[in-house]
Amino acid sequence: MNRILEKEFFSENVVKLVVEAPLIAKARKPGNFVILRVSENGERIPLTIAGADETKGTITIIAQKVGVSTEKLALMNVGDSLVDLVGPLGKSTEIHNVGTVLCCGGGVGVAPLLPIIEGFKKAGNRVVSVLAARNKDLIILEDEVRKWSDDVIVMTDDGSHGRKGLVTQGVEEVILREKIDECIAIGPAIMMKFTSLLTKKYNIPTQASLNAMMVDGTGMCGACRVSVGGKTKFTCVDGPEFDAHQIDFDEMMMRLGGYKAEEKAAFEMYNKMLDK
Amino acid sequence: MANLTTRFFGLKLKTPVIIGSAGLSNSVEKIKLLAENGAGAVVLKSVFEEEIYNEFQAEFKKQAADQSNLEYLDYLDYEIKNDKIKQYLELIQGVKKAGIDIPLVASINCTSGNEWTFFAKRLADSGADALELNLFVLPSDLNRTSEEIHNYYFTTINKVIEQVKIPVTIKISPYFSDLGRMIKELSETKLAGITLFNRYYNIDIDIENQELVPAKILSNPTDYLQSLRWIGIMSGHIECDLAASTGVHDYQTALKMIMAGASAVQVVSGVYKHGYDFIKQMVVDMAKWMDDHNIESIPELIGSANSIKVKNPAMYERIQFMKHFGEFDKVVD
Amino acid sequence: MTTYTEYLKERREQEWRVELRKKLKGKERTDQARVHMPEVDPMERVKYQNVEVNTGLNTEQAIKEASRCMDCANPTCIEGCPVGINIPEFVKNIERGEFALAAQTLKMYNALPAVCGRVCPQEKQCESKCFYTQKLDKPAVAIGYLERFAADWERESGNIAVPECAAPNGIKVATVGSGPSSLSFAGDMVKMGYDVTVFEALHEIGGVLKYGIPEFRLPNKMVDVELDNLRKMGVKFETNFIVGRTASFDQLKEEGFKGFFVGSGAGLPRFMNIPGENYNGIMSSNEYLTRVNLMGANSDEFDTPVLRGKNVAVIGGGNTAMDSVRTAKRLGAERAIIVYRRSRVEMPARVEEVKHAIEEGIEFMNLTNPIEYFADASGRVNKMRLQLMELGEADASGRRSPVEIPGATEDIDVDMVVVAVGVSPNPLIPACLPDLKISKWRTIEVNEGMQSSIPVIFAGGDIVRGGATVILAMGDGRNAAKSMHEYLSTNPNN
Repeated sequence: MNRILEKEFFSENVVKLVVEAPLIAKARKPGNFVILRVSENGERIPLTIAGADETKGTITIIAQKVGVSTEKLALMNVGDSLVDLVGPLGKSTEIHNVGTVLCCGGGVGVAPLLPIIEGFKKAGNRVVSVLAARNKDLIILEDEVRKWSDDVIVMTDDGSHGRKGLVTQGVEEVILREKIDECIAIGPAIMMKFTSLLTKKYNIPTQASLNAMMVDGTGMCGACRVSVGGKTKFTCVDGPEFDAHQIDFDEMMMRLGGYKAEEKAAFEMYNKMLDK
Repeated sequence: MANLTTRFFGLKLKTPVIIGSAGLSNSVEKIKLLAENGAGAVVLKSVFEEEIYNEFQAEFKKQAADQSNLEYLDYLDYEIKNDKIKQYLELIQGVKKAGIDIPLVASINCTSGNEWTFFAKRLADSGADALELNLFVLPSDLNRTSEEIHNYYFTTINKVIEQVKIPVTIKISPYFSDLGRMIKELSETKLAGITLFNRYYNIDIDIENQELVPAKILSNPTDYLQSLRWIGIMSGHIECDLAASTGVHDYQTALKMIMAGASAVQVVSGVYKHGYDFIKQMVVDMAKWMDDHNIESIPELIGSANSIKVKNPAMYERIQFMKHFGEFDKVVD
Repeated sequence: MTTYTEYLKERREQEWRVELRKKLKGKERTDQARVHMPEVDPMERVKYQNVEVNTGLNTEQAIKEASRCMDCANPTCIEGCPVGINIPEFVKNIERGEFALAAQTLKMYNALPAVCGRVCPQEKQCESKCFYTQKLDKPAVAIGYLERFAADWERESGNIAVPECAAPNGIKVATVGSGPSSLSFAGDMVKMGYDVTVFEALHEIGGVLKYGIPEFRLPNKMVDVELDNLRKMGVKFETNFIVGRTASFDQLKEEGFKGFFVGSGAGLPRFMNIPGENYNGIMSSNEYLTRVNLMGANSDEFDTPVLRGKNVAVIGGGNTAMDSVRTAKRLGAERAIIVYRRSRVEMPARVEEVKHAIEEGIEFMNLTNPIEYFADASGRVNKMRLQLMELGEADASGRRSPVEIPGATEDIDVDMVVVAVGVSPNPLIPACLPDLKISKWRTIEVNEGMQSSIPVIFAGGDIVRGGATVILAMGDGRNAAKSMHEYLSTNPNN
């Protein structure tokens, strides 16, 4: 149960795992995520389902190494089993035929974006995708995105791949050249914030998928709470996607830093342990 | 065609006919009809602290039979408050989503408590365009001095204004021994408008059973006279916008209020009695009257007969029957 | 068919009970003082999250305490018990040294006596109706301590009686959730021969018994023993399975499940929605207790972090607030403060928890209520503004209402706040069953037999009651089992 069937590194810090999970593969829809644990003493961490194969009974998750748990996850091998895996969680993306959809993915945010791109394309929309990252190494799933998009723009901060510039430059270019009916933005909080401010200027309805901290992931604890339109919402059951123009990104980013000291200490301890 | 635009709540209104706080506006459909029939703004049903407390008590009675769930019920009042905010939010968002373009005013019955002030802020943050404070203290507390009552009013008002970002107005009663001065002082705060006067719940006596019963709820056509007098007296002396409330049942009364110095009127009973058409008719009739008298806009009319402009202002303050001003000695006509 | 009263009378007339009553005179019984539960020293126990505060009665103490019981002809104590345990029978079994039989008696009514003996608010239930309380104005027989004694004795003896189960009838039923109501339901159903699967969304079984109640009150190992018993009886457990998400009710029906018991609890946290409540360092009691009790965050051996505040305020007055504030103390808080808007006597928490908390150095700021939080530049809470209250008229809960003292506020320094102001029903199940009738407060509406508006779905515990006690949840589970059994027997082709 929960066995890892495939493993691939996209870059030093980004790993893709295909995991045996027949029930989740069957029940999941684009936008859903899972909560998993790597070890008995491990944390419960959320990861969006980047893809699924119902016939094979597998799901694909892509993780970036950002702390102890994701480091441990990246060290797992084909044949190992995840100690716990539960899902599908969260509200699935609302996919309709609206016309033209602009999908913006920042860094590893492209992983959860991919099934949404596929979903919108299959629903009959014209799909324009903008992928952005700091450098070439951090651009992932480009081929898969191209498969499901009518047009793709790649932006890197350092110009090592695609065009040099920030995601917002790519996004604005698209907005100015064609009518966009809806926008989806997934990536680091700051990227979603500025993309959202940009689309707000042009009155384009935008959804952002939030990566709040979670403990249980089932709506029990409120750790993932975020202010949307003045109301408190739980990312794990009301989200992870929300109307981007209503999200209090500043508060969300502040809350993401809530355990910085503890995370740093844990990481140092973990590295010390590895060194031994 | 006369231009009926006017200003109240610190906002530009399409017509001077405001729907006062009542159950007339508790759904998107109702608000749509009010807007379509010419209302200039809608004040939503007032939220009462007492109401929340009563609902809380009702839940205790219903659910706390055996004390096993006291921990669950202990802070249920917060959920009730949150529910109210949610209802407001959904109503306002529903109206905006349906593209109904009419200012919505949140209304709250006031106490000066800290918790309630924060609640006022949350209500204001729910998307309302303005906030009306429903402040009425019946001076029946035998130990409370007028100074204490005054302080209560101003502390509350200032606290709320501090908290909210939207315009704040107040609706008051005439129960002040220094009403003129009170209105002047209110006008000198940062309030965006003052509505005279609140119509309060009345009691009557059932002589058969010798018990108290609620009196008739809707206002009578002549109930407007008190508001008329005070708007007439005060409007020339203050900068703050005034609105008239109670007994505005026809376009003539609305015009009278405006001439006395109000920039808008609030109606409730008229709509209950005569339906949405009442609003439409009032707006149409006002416009026609203005056209017939070559008056192009409401501002031209505001205060044209107030204590500053009218030729016999002393009449505003005439309260006694005196031979010089008229006889009234026949009992039956 | 004998009524319960007749049954109790019958049991009371058993020879051994008649003899036992004769052994001591009434006055010899009532002259004895109520036993004191041995506790770990407060200053010692606050160093450890996992040291149980009450260490339990020894055999001598238990027998002596049991002898205080008068074995009344009209046992009013039973009226105070939500599941009607035959209290005199189990107490008298302890008095005569038949501890295994005492445990057996308890288990006829209560699947988890080790749990209830520890967490029931006996002072509001059985003990409040004891003859001593009612007629003598003296401390009641320590029924709770005796229940715990019998259950612990049985567990430690290694000879836990596994109840006999009827032959399997091949009918599959499921529970949603693995808390006390579901466990109780599962136990009764499996005894009747049903094929029971308990589905749990989290990775650990036990619900609030595991994630909510701390180790120092209810050791998780104890819960595990009870779970093992259920496994031995044939109950199947599936963790990481969210009914309605991982598989729908329809899919489960296709797999052959005929009846469902929803015991998903009231796990939705309630916040006050006051300014600043989303600052870092302010969390719900659910989050705090889940990190520590379920995820082991208090120990470095576990990866999940928890914030350790120096000045911790816990808002609320119930058992959850007590659990949170005492956990904070154990995690190194210099000041661990309860902030509650009414006075101490009006706090809903178990009397014993409040007593233990006081001993452990918990500060009580009663008649105060938070109205705003402040934070430092990084967004971490550093100050809290409290409104001072006084008690006004009694309200419908029978307690005096808190009333703001105009203008009276106080600011205190805090670096962590736990909001323990109650919980709401878990919204997951109602969300995936639009036809399920729910109340205004989102509890599932059920008839007397715990059946919901959907005939094959039954419910009990906090998802029905809002947020109540473990014993009531268990009573609901039993009631639902009886009711579902009747329903399935008369409606086989569903």
